[in-house]
Amino acid sequence: MTELLLVKYAEIHLKGLNRPYFQSLLLKRVKEAVRPFTREVQLYDSRIFVRGIEDTEAAMERVRRVFGVHAVCPAVEMEKADFDAVCRAAADLMTGLDGTFKVKARRADKRYFLDSPQINAQIGGCILEQHSQLRVDVHAPEHVLNVEIRDQALLYVREIPGVGGLPTGSSGKAMLMLSGGIDSPVAGYMIAKRGVVLDAVHFFSFPYTGELAKEKVLSLARILSSYCGVIKTHIVSFTKIQEAIHALCPPEYATLVMRRLMVRIADGLAAREGASALITGESIGQVASQTMEALAATDILATRPVFRPLIGFDKIEIIRLAEQIGTYETSSLPYEDCCTVFTPRHPVTRPKLPKVQEAEDMITDADMMVQEAIDSAEVLIITPDGTGAEVSGENA
Amino acid sequence: MVYLDNAATTRPSLAVMEAVAHSMAEAYFNPSALYKPAVEVSKRLEAARKLIMDELQAQQVIFTSGGTEANNLAILGHTARRRPGGKVLYSLGEHPSVKAACEGLPTGFEALGIPLEQDGRISLPAFEEMLDEKTALVCVMQVNNETGAIQPLKEIAALVKEKCPEAWLHVDGVQGFMRIQVRLREAGIDSYALSGHKIHGPKGIGALALSSRKSLKAQMLGGGQEAGLRSGTENTPGIAGLMAAVAGFPREHTMRELKQGLYERLLERIPGLILNGPVPSAPFAADHILNLAFPPVRAETMLHALEGRGVFVSHGSACSSRKARHSETLKAMGASQAALEGAIRFSLSPYTTEEDIETAVLACAEAYQALQAFTRR
Repeated sequence: MTELLLVKYAEIHLKGLNRPYFQSLLLKRVKEAVRPFTREVQLYDSRIFVRGIEDTEAAMERVRRVFGVHAVCPAVEMEKADFDAVCRAAADLMTGLDGTFKVKARRADKRYFLDSPQINAQIGGCILEQHSQLRVDVHAPEHVLNVEIRDQALLYVREIPGVGGLPTGSSGKAMLMLSGGIDSPVAGYMIAKRGVVLDAVHFFSFPYTGELAKEKVLSLARILSSYCGVIKTHIVSFTKIQEAIHALCPPEYATLVMRRLMVRIADGLAAREGASALITGESIGQVASQTMEALAATDILATRPVFRPLIGFDKIEIIRLAEQIGTYETSSLPYEDCCTVFTPRHPVTRPKLPKVQEAEDMITDADMMVQEAIDSAEVLIITPDGTGAEVSGENA
Repeated sequence: MVYLDNAATTRPSLAVMEAVAHSMAEAYFNPSALYKPAVEVSKRLEAARKLIMDELQAQQVIFTSGGTEANNLAILGHTARRRPGGKVLYSLGEHPSVKAACEGLPTGFEALGIPLEQDGRISLPAFEEMLDEKTALVCVMQVNNETGAIQPLKEIAALVKEKCPEAWLHVDGVQGFMRIQVRLREAGIDSYALSGHKIHGPKGIGALALSSRKSLKAQMLGGGQEAGLRSGTENTPGIAGLMAAVAGFPREHTMRELKQGLYERLLERIPGLILNGPVPSAPFAADHILNLAFPPVRAETMLHALEGRGVFVSHGSACSSRKARHSETLKAMGASQAALEGAIRFSLSPYTTEEDIETAVLACAEAYQALQAFTRR
């Protein structure tokens, strides 16, 4: 008898002629996820089977986080000839459970000496004999013992929900503006879930923020990468631009001009990296720079779509998602992620575009500064295992 | 690199590193074992104990994992021996390891904070007012870790002796040990905590010194090492390092002059410089700690700007600097908002040089020039 994982996928079933493309991509992602444990991963009969693992729980946690996975079932596989042994194994799987159950047999091998109703009845009887706390309910059972008779017999009870979505790499690449706050990692997660590969950009303002603030952002990228694989992270040195805004622009427009320059830099990086969209964690009205007018004033500068998956979410809903994904704790660390020095006391909330343009025009060498910020960004490769190797420095 | 964060930790001296390495490579035996090399280790351990006892005129020295454990052992170990009840007084400038231990005592004990004066010392009139025959324990540190204020231990001990001779006086000497001489018996101090890594020794080693063989209740149970007060195999590499640190700590140094120089030169260059704590020339100012604010520049920004110029300092106290809160000590001293937001601590070592101070002054002046224009609008 051997242990294995049975991986079920969700939305791929809805695909038509390009279903094989999605299937093979998901297979690739599952293989990557379990590489530290095993290389025995196979696609068979619309499911993925992972064999040769020792630490089932750890492997399951990895597979559960692969986008495109609907559920993971820890299963056992054994010789089908000895049906008594199959019954015993089924009863063992039910150990520790109570309440109601049913047995659900699938007989792919039609030559097997028992048919499905017979299998259900015999295994059910065996389970009832061994576990007096269990009762049968064929309509709404609390537990379902699945039995599949193929070349071998396959049994499973537990079904751990996966994260859903589409396999990473099936939907292109986007540039996530990652601040270190609560919202942006959640936004990145939501888009990545739809199969999008993420690049991230962070605006770093030394000495107004320090090494710990940068480490925090990299930790967040690392958590995201445990779902969506490698994230190329661009750390933009933003101090000069912030100081220029502070010195030259009217304070009430400072945040907006800053956001606009950030969008221009992110857009430039996206062009260079072949990313087809930007992602932000904005939600309408959350802060002054996220009113509809303010969003319009920044949106206009992007030369590609800006995805804002949290646009209609309340803060409390975003926090709940952050907790589920596992980014909330890191996002809540106290290091300042943007410096209050550059946050005006009375920012404009209903900006008029010409006024914003006028404010931005005060920085006469803005174009040059934007280009310099793009060219000098530090590039880090973030993976779930935390080995962030620097691939290029000053002249990326 | 100019390292001016010696109140957070110090660089172990070469002699300390050698002593630790020797203990690990050659003298690694368990001091409780019976063969000769182990007996030798045990003798060295006792020699280290004797060295500290002599330094402090203590009757007993218990090795611990550091200052925090020593403070905990004194506070929890003493109160556990008493019937619950009575006041526990601690200065509002105490280190969290004292404050948290006092506040976490079982019900019955009433923990009360002794207010501070503006110069960082405790308010003696307020202390006298709080002190009564129901006082079980008084905790006052020798030197405040954030401001360098030397507490008036003589007056404090005299008041304790006069108003409640039964009370236990515990002194956290982590910042004062080896820098300011103290003789426990004469000073009327019952227990005194010290730490190795603040005096160029290793981390993970400290001690609690007692003025007489009074009974404490052990907080770590097991094999009965350290006279039953601190079970666990002795940290012999740490103790060897601590011994080398005590033996080698420079008695002659120019920290006081350098610190005064740093303050005066900054005062000339930085308009609006705020001093938190005693003026460097005051007799109750420790030689090695200077706490300043550079309004309108915020502490974190200043710290990173200095870091960018190769000068390492801390804001507030290193133990709490990862929590984005203002210093409790400075608040208790009635510091202004500007002082709280801008507080930077410079702390010197006997090895700090004139050139270090010169570099620091220039770095501060430059950073201030570059940053002072950027205030919130």
